[in-house]
Amino acid sequence: MAGKTELPPQLRHEAARIERIARAAGLDFGDVAFEMVDARDVNALAAYGGFPVRYPSWRFGMDFERLDKGRQYGLSRIYELVINTDPAYAWLVRTNSDMEQKLVIAHVLGHADFFKHNVWFQPTDRKMLDRMADHGTRIRRAIDLHGQDAVEAFMDSALVLDNLLDPFLPLREHMKVRAAGAQGGASTVGSSFEAVRERALGSSSSRPPTFDVLGFLAERAPLPEWQRELLRIVRAEAYYFLPQRMTKIMNEGWASFWHSRILTGGVLDASEVVEFADCHSGATASSPGNLNPYKLGIEMFRAAEERGLDLFRLRRVHNDASFVDEIVDEEFVARNALFLFGKNGRTGRTEVVDREARAVKERLLQDLSWGGLPQIELVDDDHAGRGELILRHHHDGRDLQLSHAAETLKSLSRLWGASVHFETREESSVRWISSDGAEIRTGERPYERTG
Amino acid sequence: MHRIERDRARFREIVRGRLRSDLRKYLSTSELLGRRGEHSVTIPIPQIELPRFHFGDNSKSGVGQGQGEKGQPVEGEAKDGEGAGGAGEEAGHHVLEVEVELEELARMLGEELELPNIEPRGDKALVADGGRYTGVRDTGPKSLRHFRRTFRNALRRTIAEGLFDPRDPEVIPMPEDERFRWKKRAPKPDSSAVIFHVMDVSGSMGREQKDVVRIKAFWIDTWLRSQYQNIEVVYIVHDAVAKIVDQQSFFSLRESGGTKISSAYELLLQLVRDKYRPEDWNLYPFHYSDGDNWSARDTERCVSILRDELLPRVNQFCYGQVKSAYGSGQFKKDLDTGLEGQEKLVTASVNDRDGIADAIRMFLGKGR
Repeated sequence: MAGKTELPPQLRHEAARIERIARAAGLDFGDVAFEMVDARDVNALAAYGGFPVRYPSWRFGMDFERLDKGRQYGLSRIYELVINTDPAYAWLVRTNSDMEQKLVIAHVLGHADFFKHNVWFQPTDRKMLDRMADHGTRIRRAIDLHGQDAVEAFMDSALVLDNLLDPFLPLREHMKVRAAGAQGGASTVGSSFEAVRERALGSSSSRPPTFDVLGFLAERAPLPEWQRELLRIVRAEAYYFLPQRMTKIMNEGWASFWHSRILTGGVLDASEVVEFADCHSGATASSPGNLNPYKLGIEMFRAAEERGLDLFRLRRVHNDASFVDEIVDEEFVARNALFLFGKNGRTGRTEVVDREARAVKERLLQDLSWGGLPQIELVDDDHAGRGELILRHHHDGRDLQLSHAAETLKSLSRLWGASVHFETREESSVRWISSDGAEIRTGERPYERTG
Repeated sequence: MHRIERDRARFREIVRGRLRSDLRKYLSTSELLGRRGEHSVTIPIPQIELPRFHFGDNSKSGVGQGQGEKGQPVEGEAKDGEGAGGAGEEAGHHVLEVEVELEELARMLGEELELPNIEPRGDKALVADGGRYTGVRDTGPKSLRHFRRTFRNALRRTIAEGLFDPRDPEVIPMPEDERFRWKKRAPKPDSSAVIFHVMDVSGSMGREQKDVVRIKAFWIDTWLRSQYQNIEVVYIVHDAVAKIVDQQSFFSLRESGGTKISSAYELLLQLVRDKYRPEDWNLYPFHYSDGDNWSARDTERCVSILRDELLPRVNQFCYGQVKSAYGSGQFKKDLDTGLEGQEKLVTASVNDRDGIADAIRMFLGKGR
């Protein structure tokens, strides 16, 4: 990053003031390191998922290309970026106006509070910046030893599997470790606690049935050590980002709720109010086919407040799905004009299908549960005694994109070194897809154990 | 930010690889036309997608927000990656644009179709100074010293002399280790070339036929531009009379009525005599038609203009016959028989878009 990154004195002063107000309002966050960067740099940071130290990959280059084109054409703009680390790093974009900087600072503090308190973030590694840098070093070393093409090819095949995770695993393990710590009576010192957690995350998934397919593979696939290491890196990073996926609506809603409250509570100059309203409504605007997580999130917190619920408890214990389950009811659906849309088979148009609260809520829950991912379970790792894998998709009415699933399976089979079989449904009929790493076969149920 | 530039460069490299392997596809679509700037082409490529387990088409539904009764169409399809709609994982449908230098595109075309470089005509093979600093030699100015090569040599020598100590890796380049960059001269056939695109716009040339012509013209231009430093393009259309038009009208004009091909050849000849004299120009006329001429007598006249006047003057004369529902396709047969053995005449027929690549190869494959 070129140029100075510290905040100018006046903004530093504002940041301190906003922090005081936020704390007085009940937010609780660790240190937040604010830095100023150019619009281009923030796109690069965003391409790296917020971690400028990440390993080299063409995918980050691609994401950057897309984001930066969007910026150049004026189609998209990033105001800020904050990562869940200790201290939390927050990048403010130099081109933001003074009012926007204030808004963004307040918004960031909301996120920082959320990171610190939401239960789903408790298992995450707050030293992720160092961890990512370490991953970068390891992968660069692998490139030096095995060549860019080999590493790239392996990373590509590992990354296609990076959503075969168990979203509840980290928290489950975290709870276990905590309980063990409490039983032992010793207060867990930072580093040894980390070590225990590390072991727990490592060893929990070695046997089917499991949803943590990535963990299973990292441990059991017959891979050379360097590839195993890469697979572990992919898994560690995927699990790190998972809570953000599971709490996107809440997290954005919480941050928006607080930036709105803090700014309209005396931080704004009178001259800035209109600009604030404009910027805020832009961020929380919704269009029919498009549910804005900022909007849905802030409305849920407002509804909760009206009902006299404890907001701080809600932000601690929920993820998006459970929060929707708690808050969304008939009145909420009506007031926010939520509807269910779908494709009309006859006209091919996308249209409003239903406004009934139950249907809307059901659909929301379905979309948000399991981190928004298809639920795929490894059920057997030695099918018919031949060491073949069987995976099962828990179909919930939404079909998978089958050609992609087949390609993914091919990748999986190459990693595993034997055939893999996959059971899913299309509409209501069962579909089997198998791959031996080279070919893809569909339709047949894999042979049963004989004898 | 330095690091992202490297990732981006790697991404672009991959894209170029894609483009190269998909070049055949681009050879038969009009996707690239109109995307050509002065020196580069912007090529839309689908975002490179890693396959994953993700939800498919029947989940093109979800929860939205806004007014509207049951059955009312929802404006604005669900955008990728936004909202709680099932599309969360589908980040795959963005189209990226990559810029490719015309020269590079021409090189890909050359490799794909195995086109030879053009031999300059006659003995007036003036060589223009070109080239880039891609060579290495062992003398040169300090300012052009190749740091890496120099140190590699020094390292080699140190190891060979047995003086290298990994614990104290000291490598000092001696004068004989030094390497310098130098400019590799890439002689280009200099002088100038002119391309004549001549198209039959009579009633029988439909939209599809024109598209084929257009795609073909695009690639031919791209290739010839990479071969000459200075190139001009003249567009001529004809039905019963011929006239010079600008590029835009060349591709959009639709005349009707009869076809007198000789009118175009006469105009060509006039241009070659007055403006683009063969002493100064390399001449590349391309004629596209569906092969329907007005009369056998006119065809005879065309053959004689070609044989006596045009062919001796041009580098190569290409006739591309595009199949149409109405054309008889007779003209190509007449040329082939009437001018048998004339080396400078190349005729090709194109049935559909897939035939474009072969036609281009026939036209440009002789390196004239």
